[in-house]
Amino acid sequence: MLDANFRFNLKIVHKGAILVLVPLLFELVFLAVLTELLHRAEVEVQRQVRSKAIISQANTLSKLFYDAGVAMGGYSITKSPLFSDRYDKIVRQIPQDLAELKKLVGDNPKQQTILENLQKITVTGLKILGEAKAAIDDNRVDVAQFRARHMYKEIRSLADKLQDELRGLTEDERRIEAESPEKQNRSRTILKLFLVAGVVFNILIAFVLLWFFTRSIKNRLDVMTDNSFRLARGQALNPPVGGGDEISHLDGVFHSMADALMEAARKERAVIDNAVDVICSIDMDGKFVACNPACYENWQYSQEELLGKRFIEIIAPQDISETIKSVRAVRAEKGNMQFDNRVRRKDGTEISVSWSAYWSEKERAMFCVAHDITERKLAEEAIRASEQRIRTIINHMIVGLVIVNQDGFIESMNPAAEGIFGYKAEEIVGRHLLALFGDSKFFSEHNENDTMAFMETLFNQALNRIGEFDCIKKNGEDFPVELSLSELKTHEGERYMANVLDVSERREVERLKKEFVSTVSHELRTPLTSIRGSLTLLSVGAMGKLPDQAQKVVGIAERNTIRLIGLINDILDIEKLEAGKLDMVFDNSPMMDILERSEQSVQTFAANNGVKLEIMPSDAVVYADGDRIVQVIVNLLSNAIKFSPRDGTVTVVTENAAGFVQVRVIDRGRGIPEKFKKLLFQRFQQVEASDAKKKGGTGLGLAICKGIIEQHGGQIGVESEEGKGSTFWFRIPPARTDSTLVVTGAKDQIVS
Amino acid sequence: MRVLIIDDEEDTREIAKMSLSLLGGLDVIEAENGAHGIEVASKERPDVILLDMMMPIMDGPSTLEALRTNEATQNIPVIFLTAKAMTTEIEKLKRMGATGVLTKPFDPTTLAQQVQAILEA
Repeated sequence: MLDANFRFNLKIVHKGAILVLVPLLFELVFLAVLTELLHRAEVEVQRQVRSKAIISQANTLSKLFYDAGVAMGGYSITKSPLFSDRYDKIVRQIPQDLAELKKLVGDNPKQQTILENLQKITVTGLKILGEAKAAIDDNRVDVAQFRARHMYKEIRSLADKLQDELRGLTEDERRIEAESPEKQNRSRTILKLFLVAGVVFNILIAFVLLWFFTRSIKNRLDVMTDNSFRLARGQALNPPVGGGDEISHLDGVFHSMADALMEAARKERAVIDNAVDVICSIDMDGKFVACNPACYENWQYSQEELLGKRFIEIIAPQDISETIKSVRAVRAEKGNMQFDNRVRRKDGTEISVSWSAYWSEKERAMFCVAHDITERKLAEEAIRASEQRIRTIINHMIVGLVIVNQDGFIESMNPAAEGIFGYKAEEIVGRHLLALFGDSKFFSEHNENDTMAFMETLFNQALNRIGEFDCIKKNGEDFPVELSLSELKTHEGERYMANVLDVSERREVERLKKEFVSTVSHELRTPLTSIRGSLTLLSVGAMGKLPDQAQKVVGIAERNTIRLIGLINDILDIEKLEAGKLDMVFDNSPMMDILERSEQSVQTFAANNGVKLEIMPSDAVVYADGDRIVQVIVNLLSNAIKFSPRDGTVTVVTENAAGFVQVRVIDRGRGIPEKFKKLLFQRFQQVEASDAKKKGGTGLGLAICKGIIEQHGGQIGVESEEGKGSTFWFRIPPARTDSTLVVTGAKDQIVS
Repeated sequence: MRVLIIDDEEDTREIAKMSLSLLGGLDVIEAENGAHGIEVASKERPDVILLDMMMPIMDGPSTLEALRTNEATQNIPVIFLTAKAMTTEIEKLKRMGATGVLTKPFDPTTLAQQVQAILEA
């Protein structure tokens, strides 16, 4: 079917054009030839008519000439005007006929020559006749007669000549006239033949073209039709049809489409084959009709085993009746439906499966996707167990939990909270948190302003930190609590969880501890007061001068007693510092006052050690507990004095540093080795182990200083160069403008 | 100048008395508890009272209160002699009307000077 023409890759449009234009062209050529033939026939007819006219005209002319001669003859004899008139008339007539003849002859050169001769003859003849008539008119009859005779001969010959010429003239015409009918006949025959041949040829061309195009278009359309059936059946398509026209283009597109469909089908197949879930269809009888390979992985049944098997056979017996109900519901339902059940696998184990099913009325089958939810169920179970565990923890924890909404209304509380407050959860849920607080004696839980103000206070003091509050039990009993509030982001919105701890007992313990510390300190100090007093009185000679040995021994006892007292004081301080219970009274205090008090405390000690104190005046005011800062400076000065050489100087400089007030205590002692600097502020750390004995001191002083300064929100440090001396410094905040007395102790520790 | 020492500890009283009299050259009278102290004070009218904090029967603060309400003793300066030298307590005692606070164990060589310094302040 590959025609030579296909190589031109003609489009259908072009083929259509050829189909129309080729016969049209033939028609046109045919028409042109036909017109030409008709024209020729026409010319032939005209020629015949003209020939007839020329012959007739020549005959007329010849007759006229004779008539002129006859008329002249008659006139010469009779002189009758009748002849004369006739003659005149003929003479007038002859040129007219000549002109007529000339017109008929046209541009035929041979005839024109004949016509010229004819004209000459005529002119000569008419001249002779004219002379004859003139002689007759002059009554010169003799002349006339003579002339007439002579003239008659001449005329006669002229007339003959004319006759000859005219014969010559008409001879061709006659021939033409004779030939013409034959010619016309032949022409008509040719015309008829041509007409028939043209029509036949035209029809032939049309059919050939039609055949040719039909073959190139229809055959390929058939291929395409076949392709569409093949596509529907999923068979391979015919090879692409050739050509470069719309059909081959359409065929190309069709092939691409088929490829795309095949690719899509392949992918779909791949998806189904590789799906983790079982995808299957179940017929009216409840039997599997199709299934993807996932059935093996999920249920341990191969596809072959499953096909034809009743769906219900793989369902766990205890779920069968429910499943049947569900399947009925799916068939009744138009859309998609889901149900869960358990599938008994081939090995007898059961898994939880979530079915997504759809009943197709057209296919009379149920299409299902079965998803293994065993793990999800287990996870849910684990979550439930975990929730149960948490619930148990919450129910058994000692800390009371109260959940409130954003406005502070109680939503739930755990048993511990019930125990703490004496309410049953159901009694208190819905009421405001304020009802549980001592504040409810003065404020109403039903007044929005009161509850809002209360919540604001609560947020300020207990949000993400531990605050202490007075609460009230159902029976009206007051008790202290530690409470911290934390935000809970739940799916229902923001909530707050109050952790409540009844600290009544702890308060009591604290009170007892405080009392104990106080008692111990008192009990220890009382005997020490007597011992120290006694020894001092002895050593200063209040009891009279002691022997040298005794003086020495009493001195040792006195020094060690003082050391013991210092140790007790320091231990008590450090205990309190670490518990955050070192009482401090913050106020704006002038540094000069603090410096003077410190100087007074160490004056005697400095003098005894032969050390000069150099306190630089300062007008700085700090926000601090003056007594505690005095304690720090005294400690630093004592150290400085202890480690200064005799006749040395200890300098105290107060200055501003980075928004703080900085105090530097400078000695010119032996300095501190680098490796000790960090340890220095830790407990019981001294540069040399023997220092404690040699220089006295407990090893707690700097640790206490650090605690005190840090409780002021300040910093403490040391700069030192071995052999050149040390500079201990600390920084504390400057005076506040909104000077208020603040007492700090164990309260308001921020929960990290 | 006469000093009344009110302290339940006999040894402490003795040391204090010796410090003040032997080293400070002051007259010293004693009382062994609060109630007795009030009695002595109103009778003897000392120039200053050194008052212990923790005593049986009547402790320091109660004694101070009683002294302050007693017309005979209300103007006598009272200096606490205490082993509980917490800053907050010192503030409290001063607010209660104590003239000063000295901590135990005291330095016997300077006790008289310290008392005098407080009185002069």
